[in-house]
Amino acid sequence: MSRTSTRRRWLRDHLAMAGAIALSPVLLSRSAPVPAEQATAAVRLRELYEKDGSFSALAQSLAGKRVPVRGFMAPPLKADAAFFVLTKRPMSTCPFCESAAEWPRDILVVRTKRRFDVLAFNIGIVVDGVLELGTETDPGTGFVSRVRLTDAIVERV
Amino acid sequence: MLQRTPLAVAVATLLLGSVALAQELPPQADNAWFTEAQATLQERLARQLNTSRAKNVILMISDGNGVGTNYATRLWHGQQNGNYGDENVLPQESMPHLALVKTYNVNAQTPDSSGTGTAMLSGVKTKAGVVNVNENVSRGDCSTVMDNALTPITRMMSDAGKATGIISTARITHATPASGFAQSADRNFEDDSGLPEGCEVPDIATQLVTAMSEGWVDIAMGGGRRHFLPAEVTDEEGQAGRRTDGVNLIEQAQAAGARYVFDDASFADVGSLDDGPILGLFESSHMQYEYDRTGEPSLAEMVEASIGALQGAEQGFFLEVEAGRVDHANHAGNLHRVLEDGVAFAEAVAVARELTDESDTLIIVTADHEHAIAFNGYCGRGTPITGLCHAIDGEGVEYLADTLELADDGRPYSVVGYLNGPGSVIRKEAMPPALSMEADHEQGGGEGTGTDMAMNDADAEPAPIGTGGDVVAQQLLDRLDITTETDEAGNSTDYRWIGSRGPLTQEEATDPDYLQQATIPKSSETHSGEDVAVYASGPFAHLFDGTVEQNFIFHVMHHAAFGAE
Repeated sequence: MSRTSTRRRWLRDHLAMAGAIALSPVLLSRSAPVPAEQATAAVRLRELYEKDGSFSALAQSLAGKRVPVRGFMAPPLKADAAFFVLTKRPMSTCPFCESAAEWPRDILVVRTKRRFDVLAFNIGIVVDGVLELGTETDPGTGFVSRVRLTDAIVERV
Repeated sequence: MLQRTPLAVAVATLLLGSVALAQELPPQADNAWFTEAQATLQERLARQLNTSRAKNVILMISDGNGVGTNYATRLWHGQQNGNYGDENVLPQESMPHLALVKTYNVNAQTPDSSGTGTAMLSGVKTKAGVVNVNENVSRGDCSTVMDNALTPITRMMSDAGKATGIISTARITHATPASGFAQSADRNFEDDSGLPEGCEVPDIATQLVTAMSEGWVDIAMGGGRRHFLPAEVTDEEGQAGRRTDGVNLIEQAQAAGARYVFDDASFADVGSLDDGPILGLFESSHMQYEYDRTGEPSLAEMVEASIGALQGAEQGFFLEVEAGRVDHANHAGNLHRVLEDGVAFAEAVAVARELTDESDTLIIVTADHEHAIAFNGYCGRGTPITGLCHAIDGEGVEYLADTLELADDGRPYSVVGYLNGPGSVIRKEAMPPALSMEADHEQGGGEGTGTDMAMNDADAEPAPIGTGGDVVAQQLLDRLDITTETDEAGNSTDYRWIGSRGPLTQEEATDPDYLQQATIPKSSETHSGEDVAVYASGPFAHLFDGTVEQNFIFHVMHHAAFGAE
């Protein structure tokens, strides 16, 4: 018997016990969503950058402090990495306009406190972590970042 | 049989002749809508067809700006200027002649920009994904390019003594601008790194520099620096090139006499063609969205500089202009940037019209294709086009500020939506641990739990499905439509695609980074095959009428420049 059919059978049996309430979309979330007012209060990624790519006064004032930032989780560069890229808009790729992945300029690297659950690129999240400014290269992947949130906790909006 | 009322007779008389206008006026004759339409009628009656030879031809393409997208831009532009939006007239919409354009490619109901660019620039439709080769070429097959190559009108114009220019806010090697100068089996062959082994057709960037060196492209401005630089060379903004052949095409162009500009400061001194051809590469990849733009010229500024430089040519000029990022913002599902770039294009159209004479300059404004953009109703007048749909006020004109239209789920919705794209309300959600065997196992579910029982019992026959809970559970499971994916490390995760529309405020919906809601989940929103408009002014612009095939645009340009007396 295939793994999938086993899984399906288990789910069927489990669901019989759990009941239909388990199918509620709310319960399908891995973590409790951030309350709307809290999400709204979180810093927006674009507020950390000026148009020319320099850091905003807000970013400089928050450096070294724990800050909640809104955004989206770009698809992780590799499985099981303890970091991901936060984007201000869902990081989509266009088969007709790009021949390779295009990273926007105003991104932020997140280093998580513990292994995180990968969320789809278009699910809004708030990342709470310590803001670090300055260019740094990730030793594991070689990914160069200018802004980071470390010791971060991820919550969906 | 229709009854003729006195009013109907009056209106008929009114519409039949201006002499009767003052004598038999219907009660609505003072209505502003009535008088303005009468003024438009008189203006149209006075029009003279221009059958002079076109000294100059300007083809302006807003990529992905079909009738729907253009409508959204009209409203946005108007609302930014303090009116409701609907009554606004974009610069291209005031041009006297118009047709609808069928945009399909030979093998594609939904077109791509290289097939459409080829149609407009070389006069024949071809396959999706190829540049200025006919449909005999299979995409990606270099071996058949030379026998099936098409000559773009840029070359014909140059051969006739005209100066030529190609400008875009996308990479200058991208599909639409490339259609002005290149021949390629694949639009993605922007530099040598993507060429198949043994391909003898030069990459698109190389073809541009060759065309400039040979003298049939005088101005090229846009993004795409990386395709002109070797991988080991970084550009003025610290970005590495993509070329693997070690060739620095910017230096090659300079050696051939071209002047190279790369930011707004160097662009300010771009000057005339007396000092040589102009190569402007303002970004490593595409130029910035208008909303984000800094340190580089706008499309209108590039048009102004180009016309200024080209106007010195005795035999006139040909200029291809592309607003390349309307398309990209649509792909991203982000209407705000679509509209900001749409307005930037409209401003470029206005500049082109101001700087040229309609008597000797044919200006064609069009799009290459539309997107899967759609419009909800029923929204009151003045409803913000990027925002939520406000209800109509039956007692007034402007929308009801306190009343949003609600869907059957009780949620408000934006005026604009996409049929597909990253803004989809259906998202990929991992099954929670409580419902995921794999997750429970990883977390070390205790002995005797449902998870362990299932894992240990993997080869056993499934329990027969009986009645009651089993049946309901199976039905629910079927509805879940679960997909299992395994990553590189061998970890399996159960996913399902699920969606509902959460609460949404006007502030959130009108945020510049908001993605309008879409239905079908796709990481990139798609083009659509819907018609686009072509607007035109100048010599032979009147040939645009009715519904035309896209390649007809080339033939009007060609006739206006060469066929007319």
